Order: sequence, then structure tokens, then C-alpha cells
Amino acid sequence: MLDALWIVLLGMAIIFAVLGILLGMMLLLNKFLKPEKEE
Amino acid sequence: MDMPVGEFVGFLNLNWQIVVMLAVGGFLIYLGTAKSIEPVILIPIGTGILLANIPLGGMVEEGGLFAVLRKAGIQTELFPLLIFIGIGAMIDFGPFLERPYTILLGAAAQFGIFGTFFLAYMLGDGWLHIMGFSLKDAASIGIIGSADGPTSIYVSSVFQSKYAAAIVVAAYSYMALVPIIQPPIMKLLTSKEERLVEMPINAEAVSQRTKIIFPIATVLIVGLIAPKATPLIGCLMFGNVLRECGVVERLSSTAQNELTNIVTILLGLTVGGMMIASEFLKPETILIFVMGVIAFALDTAAGVIFGKIMYLLSGKKVNPLIGAAGISAFPMSARVVQKMGLQENPHNHLLMHAVGANTAGQIASVVAGGAMLMLIPMFS
Repeated sequence: MLDALWIVLLGMAIIFAVLGILLGMMLLLNKFLKPEKEE
Repeated sequence: MDMPVGEFVGFLNLNWQIVVMLAVGGFLIYLGTAKSIEPVILIPIGTGILLANIPLGGMVEEGGLFAVLRKAGIQTELFPLLIFIGIGAMIDFGPFLERPYTILLGAAAQFGIFGTFFLAYMLGDGWLHIMGFSLKDAASIGIIGSADGPTSIYVSSVFQSKYAAAIVVAAYSYMALVPIIQPPIMKLLTSKEERLVEMPINAEAVSQRTKIIFPIATVLIVGLIAPKATPLIGCLMFGNVLRECGVVERLSSTAQNELTNIVTILLGLTVGGMMIASEFLKPETILIFVMGVIAFALDTAAGVIFGKIMYLLSGKKVNPLIGAAGISAFPMSARVVQKMGLQENPHNHLLMHAVGANTAGQIASVVAGGAMLMLIPMFS
């Protein structure tokens, strides 16, 4: 039972960690790569 | 003439289980054709069920078509990965990239996977021993909450779950039932004031370079943290690169159309072919279908609750309804959010925000699948 709880906690932690990093990456991309500059 | 007629004539081998499965196959074909419910997948699945359950038909026996397809496409995890290339080529990450915050809603809405996993394991080997669900079976059942057929197939195949057929059928069927499962939960968890929150329709456009860099960087980030998710996220994002790079229009078109269509036919038939009466009609199957509903309900609830947190933290600028689109049932849940938003306030178009959360859910469900594949062996 404890194992299953750990899997739930670690699983959600992994998801938020990975997507949190992706969020940071998206914010950086949006900040530095503006469409106007390309065109 | 002393010939065992029963070995050559199909109807002499009928029993009630086979008749039930033939009826199920016919019903799925009916839903697909007459009601237009997920016809692209339900018609091949329904046909697969019919063919697999015809006594003495030989489709599922060693060397039979379904046995060959199962070995080549499901056990090798080939079909779900090829489907992911097609999905990646079809997804426009634009609305999501324009509203990066929606990624957190996609993350929250994966709680249904882990909540259902916990429940299944408690009913099985973890505590009550009512069902024979091992840790791997429970993880495969939980992944129904990814609201993502290919991910469900992939994870249950890797874990070699004996419930794979029921899990896959539940995952695909419930996607069609999103408009029925989600609205009551969304209404229950939100106040009128929250549902009335208006959100801007337009957002700042993102550059094409961002759209090309995003899938490549995502593969690297997800792969390096949760390497077991690499095949899924790699194929998804490869398809997306084909779409966004702008120089391989033919390949992008093939991935979106021919590849996806061919693999969908083969996958649907194979999944249907896995639903053999003797293996499918068990109490566990019914329980798996019940837990599928729980998974979708938990996904929706977690997404909406996280939406409510964002509503409070943003100074009441985020409509919590969009959290329900965090599950990756694309585009059904985004449509549900849009519809409910318009019912409350005819001027409130939540669609683009919901589509953002929906595509975020697609990525998050793949990460969740990878997390399961990584964690379960650690605790087995």
C-alpha cells in the first residue's frame, strides 16, 4: 500500500517537474523569439 | 460417414458468451455508423470482435490474421507509436504555446491516472485481494485516465497486462463519452461566478521558430527526465516537426492521412480481435470499465480544482472550467468546456484556452505513461 502511495506521489511530482520545465522553456522561447523579428 | 460435424460447422459451437460478444461487436458497429460515435475506431473494433468470435473462424489462432497482427503491432508496441506520429502531425501546438500557463492544467488533470491506479491496486494485490490486479495491472488500468488510446495500448503492452483488451476498449469508448461524463462534475465543482469569468479570445502569436524548437526541446527534456516516455513523446514530436518545419509537406500529409488511416484500421481490428469471449467476459472486465469512468471523473475533478486555484491566484481572471480540458481527450473535452462556457455566458469563448489545456494534456498523459513505466519496475 505504501509503495502504491509512493508511486502516486512520485508520478505526480515527475509530471509537474517535467511540465514545469517545459513551461519555463516556452516562456523563454516566447520572450526571445518574437514573430515580428523573424518577418 | 462418421464425421465430427461440430468441428466444421460454426453455429454448433455457439455458446452464450460468444453470442454476447457478437452482440457487443454489432453494437459498436451500430454506435459508429448510426450514432457517429468515434466511427473511425469503433467500426474496426466492432468488426474485429465479430470476426474473432466466430467459432472455428481461426482468426485468433496461431498463424491467423489477428494473431499475426497482435504479435507484430501490439506486442512490439509498433501500432501505438505509428499512430503517435500521425497525431503529432495533426496537432497544432499554437494555441497551447500562446497560452503556456495551460500546461499546468494538463499536469493536474493526470491525477485520474494515479488515483485510479491506487484504487485498482487496493482492490487487488495491494490490500483487499478482491480482484487479481497486480501492480502492473493496476498501472495499466490507471492509464485509462490518460484518455489516450495509443498510450493505454503502449503501457498495457509493455506491462503485458492480461486485461489489455478491456483497458484499450474502455479508453477508446470513454473518450466518446466525455460530453456525458465531464459536465456534471464541472458544474458540481464550480460556482456560477466562476463559470461566468470571461477570458480574452486572442493571445500574442508565437513565432514559427518557436513551433519548430518546441517539439525538439520537449523530446530532449522529457526523454532525459523520464526516458521510458521517449518512444511515445519521440514519435509524437517527430510527427509535429514534420508538420511545423514547412519543408516536408508530403511526409506531413502522409503521416496525417495514409499512415494514420492504415494503422487505425489495423489497430482497431487487432484490438477487436483481442476481445475473445472466453478472455473478455469476466467480472474484472466490468470493474475495469467502472474504473475507467472513475479515472475520467478524477481527471476532470483534478483539472477543475487546479483551475480554481489558478482562478484565485490570478485575481479571478482564469475560468476554472478550462481545467476540465486538461485531459487529453482531444478535441472533445475542449468542446465541452466551450459549450458550457457559452451556456453560462453567451459572450464567453473559452475554446482556445481549452484547446491549449487539451494539447497540454496530450503531452502530460505521455509523461504520465513514461512515469508509470519508470516507477512500477522500481517498486515491483
